[in-house]
Amino acid sequence: MAEQQGFMERHHFLLRRLHSLSGIVPIGVFLIVHLTTNASVIWGAANGRAAPYAADAAGRGVATFQHEVNFINNLPLLLLIEIFGLWLPIAFHVILGIVYAMTGSKNTQTYAYTGNKRYLLQRLSGYVGVLFIFYHVASLRWGWTFLVPNGTEWSHYFAASTLAAALKGEAGMWTTPGVIVAIFYFIGVSLLVYHFANGLWTAAITWGITVSEAAQKRWGYVCTAVGVVLMGTAWTALGGFLFAVDYDQARAVEEQIFIEHHGEEGLQKFMDNPVDEQAAATIHEAEPGDG
Amino acid sequence: MSAIATETTKAAESTRTVHFRIKRCDGPGKPSRWEVFDVPVPAHANVISCLQWIAANPTTADGKATTPVVWESSCLEEVCGACTMVINGKVRQSCSCLMDEYAPNDGDTITLEPMSKFPVIRDLWVDRSRMFDALKRVRAWVPIDGTYSLGPGPMEGPKESETRYKLSECMTCGCCLEACPQYHLETDEAAWATSFIGAAPISQARLFNEHETGAVLKADRLEALMGPGGINDCGNAQNCVQVCPKEIPLTESIATIGRAATFEAFRRFFQSR
Ligand code: SF4
Ligand code: SF4
Ligand code: FES
Repeated sequence: MAEQQGFMERHHFLLRRLHSLSGIVPIGVFLIVHLTTNASVIWGAANGRAAPYAADAAGRGVATFQHEVNFINNLPLLLLIEIFGLWLPIAFHVILGIVYAMTGSKNTQTYAYTGNKRYLLQRLSGYVGVLFIFYHVASLRWGWTFLVPNGTEWSHYFAASTLAAALKGEAGMWTTPGVIVAIFYFIGVSLLVYHFANGLWTAAITWGITVSEAAQKRWGYVCTAVGVVLMGTAWTALGGFLFAVDYDQARAVEEQIFIEHHGEEGLQKFMDNPVDEQAAATIHEAEPGDG
Repeated sequence: MSAIATETTKAAESTRTVHFRIKRCDGPGKPSRWEVFDVPVPAHANVISCLQWIAANPTTADGKATTPVVWESSCLEEVCGACTMVINGKVRQSCSCLMDEYAPNDGDTITLEPMSKFPVIRDLWVDRSRMFDALKRVRAWVPIDGTYSLGPGPMEGPKESETRYKLSECMTCGCCLEACPQYHLETDEAAWATSFIGAAPISQARLFNEHETGAVLKADRLEALMGPGGINDCGNAQNCVQVCPKEIPLTESIATIGRAATFEAFRRFFQSR
């Protein structure tokens, strides 16, 4: 412990500044990309290239989202990008964030200034945000389906339908645990957007980019605008999966896209053994002219 | 003469009783307790004048004889910072705290506590040594001591002097530290060097960095402020600037030092041997 403290103290400045930076690049940038991708389930309705898959807006959204997910899953070295671009920076930001947050105290009853409440909320949103990210990643990415109300396993081949089912707790229907999960998502994602927007504002002070009070105020308006737009994007995405996606229709659109990539056989094989994701890919490679 | 007499009678007429709830402590490490004093308050009184009355009449509201309440004060015009205490839960100077504002009616209560971020010496009197130690830590001075005359000082423009004049008004009162959620009571002197230093010394470092002669110590000041307990331990709650009685732009100073630290870090990485 003493040695660890020694390390923290020796590299105090660097660690502090890396903590500040990591919240913006890569984590903040990822947040923007991730929320924009997810909101495609709604803005995809305006996507002309999704038109062949569905006649209605909801279907085009599902198709667009599926294409976005496929694009991401086809990125080269995806696992490396995830580890070094996401997991490690997030772990770093979270661990140091907790260490730093523990050096603070709460005195908002006595000094009920807006800035002080922002300071407190930044720390609270960090804590709740970590819990949310953990649940989000464990239940959807790591496949800890026991955390999902009806045990739906999210599949990136059937992205919108399985996500909607995992959120609502039942394919197409609302369940009580599903409502709780949905509310948790709403709170979690809103707090994380706040955490990012407020962090963007304080980072400018930390690095000495905004110096005068007037500059801090101006930058505050910019950060508020960023926060509002991002909050809108987040709510659009969440609302889209909860209210716009029809399970059966989404499934049909996604199967169509699956067949396009991996053929009828691929779909059949995948249905028989959904765990073996390689199977479908192998078939696709074997018959390159397909789809 | 008669005019003064009338004034005095008027004041006597408008005397009201105010309950003073005071957090007392007999000495460092001793437990604290609450005592209530019923003080006859004339018009235009301030907290110090009431404390003077209590010192002369050390009897609690329930008639028990007690020791006089101890506090610290000096200038009585909000320029020395000695009389800073927590009044009705919030930190401020007690000499400029007017009773007509805080307890305008007969039977009102006012609560006095010592600041919580400094060790109590006795009652409302605290030990602010750590603040002065912090000023040494950031070398808050212009180094001109030497064996020969350094000649005339540098010229300064009116704009710079205006900025720095504001910063120089800091009276080391401790309000900004008392209200800061990142600043904590630290009785162990050995820990001062690595515990968060607070807004006032950061602002003083800026004051002397911006002085042409004082700037020669800039690297030393930044060195002290870039380590543990320095500038990066600020959490940007900005309570400091809200409570500073001198309205010193503390958050501006914090950002200014933050910027200087950023450049210093780059300078060290790319330039220093
Ligand atoms: S801005 Fe920094 S120094 Fe000022 S009250 Fe907040 S944490 Fe303390
Ligand atoms: S900066 Fe203001 S609040 Fe802080 S010690 Fe100086 S005068 Fe007091
Ligand atoms: S006695 Fe000097 S500030 Fe109050």
